[in-house]
Amino acid sequence: MSDLDEFKATYFDECSELLLELEEQFSAIQEGDRSPDRLNAVFRAIHSIKGGGGAFGFDALVRFAHSFETLLDYVRDGRVELGEDVVVLCIRSVDIVADFVAAARNGETLAADYGAVEKAQFDALSRGDAVELAQPEDGEEAMDEFDIDFTPVVVNLDAAPSTVQAAGGATVWTIRFTPFATLYERANDPLLLFRELGLLGTMTVTPELAKMPLLADFDPFGVYCSWTIELVSDRASEEAIREVFEFVDGDCAISIERSEAAPLAMDEEMPSFAALAEEAKAERKFVPTGEPDDLMAELEPAFAAPAVRAQEAAPVAPSSTTSEAAEETAGRPIGMSSIRVDLDKVDRVVNMVGELVITQSMLTQQMDDAIRDRYQELVRGIEVLAQTTRGLQDAVMAIRAQPVKSVFSRMPRLVRELAAKTGKKIKLDTIGEATEIDKTVIEQLSDPLTHMVRNSADHGIESPEKRLAAGKPEMGTIRLSAEQAGGNILIVVEDDGAGINRDRVLQIARERGVVGPDQQLTDEQIDNLIFAPGFSTASEVSDISGRGVGMDVVLSNIKKIGGSVHVRSWTGKGTRMTLRLPLTLAVLDVMLVKVAGSPYVIPLSSIVETIQNARADFGHMPSGGKVLQVRGDYVQVVDLAQRFGLASTQSEDSRFVVLCEAEGNSKIALVVDDIIGQQQVVIKSLEENFERIDGIAGGTILGDGNVALIVDVQSLKSTNAHQNAA
Amino acid sequence: MRVLTVDDSRTILAMLHHTLTNAGFEVLQAENGQVGLDVLGREDVDVVITDINMPVMDGIEFIKQVRSTGKHQSLPILILTTETSQDKRDQGRAAGGTGWIVKPFDPEKLISVINKVVH
Repeated sequence: MSDLDEFKATYFDECSELLLELEEQFSAIQEGDRSPDRLNAVFRAIHSIKGGGGAFGFDALVRFAHSFETLLDYVRDGRVELGEDVVVLCIRSVDIVADFVAAARNGETLAADYGAVEKAQFDALSRGDAVELAQPEDGEEAMDEFDIDFTPVVVNLDAAPSTVQAAGGATVWTIRFTPFATLYERANDPLLLFRELGLLGTMTVTPELAKMPLLADFDPFGVYCSWTIELVSDRASEEAIREVFEFVDGDCAISIERSEAAPLAMDEEMPSFAALAEEAKAERKFVPTGEPDDLMAELEPAFAAPAVRAQEAAPVAPSSTTSEAAEETAGRPIGMSSIRVDLDKVDRVVNMVGELVITQSMLTQQMDDAIRDRYQELVRGIEVLAQTTRGLQDAVMAIRAQPVKSVFSRMPRLVRELAAKTGKKIKLDTIGEATEIDKTVIEQLSDPLTHMVRNSADHGIESPEKRLAAGKPEMGTIRLSAEQAGGNILIVVEDDGAGINRDRVLQIARERGVVGPDQQLTDEQIDNLIFAPGFSTASEVSDISGRGVGMDVVLSNIKKIGGSVHVRSWTGKGTRMTLRLPLTLAVLDVMLVKVAGSPYVIPLSSIVETIQNARADFGHMPSGGKVLQVRGDYVQVVDLAQRFGLASTQSEDSRFVVLCEAEGNSKIALVVDDIIGQQQVVIKSLEENFERIDGIAGGTILGDGNVALIVDVQSLKSTNAHQNAA
Repeated sequence: MRVLTVDDSRTILAMLHHTLTNAGFEVLQAENGQVGLDVLGREDVDVVITDINMPVMDGIEFIKQVRSTGKHQSLPILILTTETSQDKRDQGRAAGGTGWIVKPFDPEKLISVINKVVH
């Protein structure tokens, strides 16, 4: 990654945060909070997006942001009133800025007139009372200012000065320079100016010491000295000389004159600076050598007094205060102290810590009472080890953890767009955005969450008329919340809409044969039908959620990352969908089972229940296939030993059925020889280390060093269905 | 030589950091004026580069505060500005800013401006 790419990555990261900030601030502003803090925050956010955009030459973005920023600046100092319509314009424009940023990130170009309407509105609003505005900026001018090839005004050493004489000739400049006290107050220093001038040519500096008082009257803060500088140069222009004094403009009196003739013939060798200094020393005449220390020694006390003495003579804060301040700030990092680390490296640490946690829990498990009694020191050591390991695990997980904010932040815009498309009024509340989850989980969360919010806006919230008729506020609310509950994160999408229309759901389910004609379902079962594959309750396919993607995809995506979805609905009052997600994907909670003498693990998240074979209610299909009857449902049975081509050594009755849930609420019953217990494992990819095996999701190394294979419930279910269909 | 950079934009901080470290400077960073003051309270630096628009404490206030401590009266402070913000630059100067750097900056020019104000 080149430096520029790296800066761009930082910039885009920062833009995401700033856009989120804008989103939040404007939503508070919309609620009526017009405090200066908010206005400053939105101004700064746009300003930063523009600033970085300028550095990378994202012209279209910069132009738009500039108009936006100008308006915000005027709003901030009260020149433009922040009415409802302006807030709406701003919120819409945040989306446009987001689009510009996205386009810049993806290297795309938006239509030339994209955002032109809003930009024109900004410009018009900013011009609103143009008479009073100091310098209303013309759009075109603004553009020019932000062209990337814009050159900052600093000393240009290679400038071809207009006053330079014909080739070979040099010009003598006489510069009279009298600093004011303010020059020193701003930490400017004549010495540095001379050094800068010295880069333009050869010079002689003569101090005017006439005003220098007697030592008794000397004020260390006084300004007594002025200088006359003779600069001999073949390349200096008046402009270049003025630029040297750019920072002290107003803090000094300066005159620049060009002498008619060069005092030195150019073919004669110029004396070096050092030589001049030597000469000056001998004559007690001042010539800067560019060596500040020498200079100071030379000129003490008269010359250096204002600049340097001031520093030393200045009142110094009492040491006690200083040390207190130091104590207060001690331990705090200096600014933003962070490093960028390759994610692979973090993954390796996470992986090893996972192994450590498992080894540690194995050690604890293997300690029986006899060992505890005999080796108390060892036991204590292992207890400490357990604590430390737990702490290490938390610390490592925290490195990869990200606030859910990064996903939640995309939702306000989605809701706005949906509301606009459907003509509904919808407000989005978000709670617990700071809740952190592992990066990999976050990455998998975006699509399902988008779909759930879309579902709530499209199917849940009613039209304003319907809501009013039902005695509800016109504006519907979708609430998005996140909280940590033990080793899980709960993400809840809740709306105050109409709730699931159970009659309609049931009707569609019966039409499609998902539910038998006489089958009676509880309300909860009906609600869960929305997760059935290809199921959609929208009576008309809208362009919002009718994309052939249903809630079944949400469910399967969430299951893939070891999570679960739960839906609950109240007729006329609303729907609540709860996502339960693991904090991390690196460590998996599993049930350890035995098949033909070998250990296998089944992810705990997919297990519904376990039943002893002897108690299981098996039946046979006409084809000869075995089925398990569970509360009125018939579930296909897969004997893992048979499936993997092994021979079970157990008697049929002593074996166990593990009832698992696969995608779309469909179930499968796995027959195993024995159930050993629950534990955590670190997942190892088989594909990377060996090769892909059908029906196996990966491998893991157990505490005793044995390798166990992880059963892939989903693929067993689909191959089984396939076999049955064949 | 040590430089303290004060800016709430990570992008600008990163670019300053890169340019300055490449030029052999040691770089300290702060994300706003308050943090900048904290850093100056315990670290010695040779020059400060500060943005104007920042949360918590903006650049103008930061410069005023720095100048109000005797210890830092001669510390050069460069103000990061855009070409359009002449009034901000003037405010920064009035508060005690030594000079300015125009954004977006060119690495060579950044260094030359620093050399213009630092011994």
